Amino acid sequence: MSNNNDVLLKVVDLKMHFPIYRGVFQRQVGAVHAVDGVSFDVKRGETLGLVGESGCGKSTTGRTILQLYKPTAGEVFFKGSNLVSLKSEEMRWMRRQMQMIFQDPYASLNPRMTVAEIVGEPLTVHNVATGKEIQEHVMHLLEIVGLNPSFAGRYPHEFSGGQRQRIGVARALALQPSFIICDEPISALDVSIQAQVVNLLEELQEQFNLTYLFIAHDLSMVRHISKRVAVMYLGVIMELANRDDLYLEPMHPYTQALLSAVPIPDPVADVNRKRVILEGDVPSPVNPPSGCRFRTRCPIAEKICAESRPEFREVKAGHFVACHLVS
Amino acid sequence: MLTYIIRRLLMVPLLLFGVTVLIFAMLQFLSPIERSALYVRDIPRNDKAVEGIIKRYKLDRPMHEQYWFWLVGTVDASTGKRAGGILFGDFGYSRTGAEPVATLIRNRFPNTLDLTIWAVAPVILVGIWLGVQAAVHQNSIIDQAARIFSIVGTSFPTFVFGLLMLMFFYVKLGWFPPGRMSDASSIIVRSEEFHTYTTLLTFDALLNGRFDVFLDALRHMAMPILTLSYISWATFLRVTRSSMLETLRMEYITTARAKGLSEHDVIFKHAQPNAMIPVVTLAGFSVILLLGGVVITETVFNYPGIGQAAAIAAAQLDVITVLGFALFNGLILIVSNLVVDVLYAVVDPRVRLS
Repeated sequence: MSNNNDVLLKVVDLKMHFPIYRGVFQRQVGAVHAVDGVSFDVKRGETLGLVGESGCGKSTTGRTILQLYKPTAGEVFFKGSNLVSLKSEEMRWMRRQMQMIFQDPYASLNPRMTVAEIVGEPLTVHNVATGKEIQEHVMHLLEIVGLNPSFAGRYPHEFSGGQRQRIGVARALALQPSFIICDEPISALDVSIQAQVVNLLEELQEQFNLTYLFIAHDLSMVRHISKRVAVMYLGVIMELANRDDLYLEPMHPYTQALLSAVPIPDPVADVNRKRVILEGDVPSPVNPPSGCRFRTRCPIAEKICAESRPEFREVKAGHFVACHLVS
Repeated sequence: MLTYIIRRLLMVPLLLFGVTVLIFAMLQFLSPIERSALYVRDIPRNDKAVEGIIKRYKLDRPMHEQYWFWLVGTVDASTGKRAGGILFGDFGYSRTGAEPVATLIRNRFPNTLDLTIWAVAPVILVGIWLGVQAAVHQNSIIDQAARIFSIVGTSFPTFVFGLLMLMFFYVKLGWFPPGRMSDASSIIVRSEEFHTYTTLLTFDALLNGRFDVFLDALRHMAMPILTLSYISWATFLRVTRSSMLETLRMEYITTARAKGLSEHDVIFKHAQPNAMIPVVTLAGFSVILLLGGVVITETVFNYPGIGQAAAIAAAQLDVITVLGFALFNGLILIVSNLVVDVLYAVVDPRVRLS
């Protein structure tokens, strides 16, 4: 396993701005800066966690990487080829290797298709299998994700949320991709089901040597599943480090505030610990603050924070922080 | 699917019962003498004979008995001949049509069906296709044009549109004549060599290989077709467009793209079938609109269909004929609702399985 550490996915200064049109002539009056210059690597076989509040651009980052949105700027290299410059036909073939598990298992399955059709369709589209083989593939996939293969003829609405998410996982696995973006795959599920799905994802990772980009807002879940973790705020990555470094020694004030909000299941410890409570609301991504995005709510902000945007730099080995005041 | 259809079919007798009770109730507003037109062609003038008819056809019996006789008719004990009985297809005699109502419907309905078939085709082709295109290319030129067109279409009254067409295409340009067919075609149609296969003129003309008759029929139908379909395309376009826009925003459309489907497949295999669910509902309603629309359209263009006959009967207070048409329309609606229900189950698996 000598090449276990090499980079599978490299994201360079990715930007996704959604234009806003107004007025009689529908002129562009501004843009939602959903993702505004994000750079990171994902290594082969690892799980990179991407956390942040809702609306910070996590899901948009995932979708833009898969070219489900056409990025405004930046590059995405997957196994060396730049996805942004691929023609749509070439990108369609790349999708064999990179798939996505969606957040909402209720909305992400076509209600008019049976499970067999949903899971089997990618095989037909990419000419992986034909006729009877598809059937066998589908049965096998359902078994892998722990669903009864005899359910293949049923429709999505006949399943519970957890079962539906398993269908989504089976669908994502159908083409044997090497990279899967999990876009909050458990946030729509009951807590009792969440663990099942996360365990399934971990088993599958081991079995098929998968690489995950795991997007979530549940900090404990990300800690559990990820090898490295990136923290996003208002379209920008604030901090990226190995899991333990990030959770035990957070450097960025936003990460510190975020982690101090995680409840501890121990009343004494919970009362005694130091909590950082942020003031105000997340600013609008239409008109983000100058300089550091976080400065309007940062407890330690100084003059420089409003003047220039902090560089996303490696402070310690493998520990990246975007803050002027961290040394 | 089969059980679903059977369940729907079981509803049909119930609906039929409801329709017949309603229409029978309306018949009760007529005097017994007027009601005798259900059984006899000419209502006699002297009181004695009227009395005899009322007795013979049991028009003085309690209401539930009369309802029964209205359904099955009365059998003359001496001759064994049945008179009346809607279950046997006898709806009474039409004063304005000067023939039995059932014969009137049989002669007129093929003309109306011919017209509506040709009017529905553009609704599906233009309305639904344009609606999909408008949604896929939202805010493009196609979309803007389609939206303007559909607003004008839905707000234009049928009779105004019909009269404008008459003024322009008939009076001014002389392109499309009103009526059913030219004298030349009617000689051909009545001749020995012209076989009647379907009773629908355009189809029979094609089956006989008479393109001149076919084109002549289309020329006569052009204005009613345009008038009848104009309002419907506009509505279908609007509903298809908005439903399609909504479907295209669904997450499973993103899933389909992530699977690596081509944009064409995403739109026509995933989005459109789902977007058709409200359109099928609309199709059910539009049958009702169409049945009303033919009355105005056929009257404006002097087209000999059931709509025109119904309009004439209504103007002459020929209630027996009007209620005969009402019964017939009720039947058509029940059948078309059955078709829509089945279509519904085809487009939406959640319907057939629940």
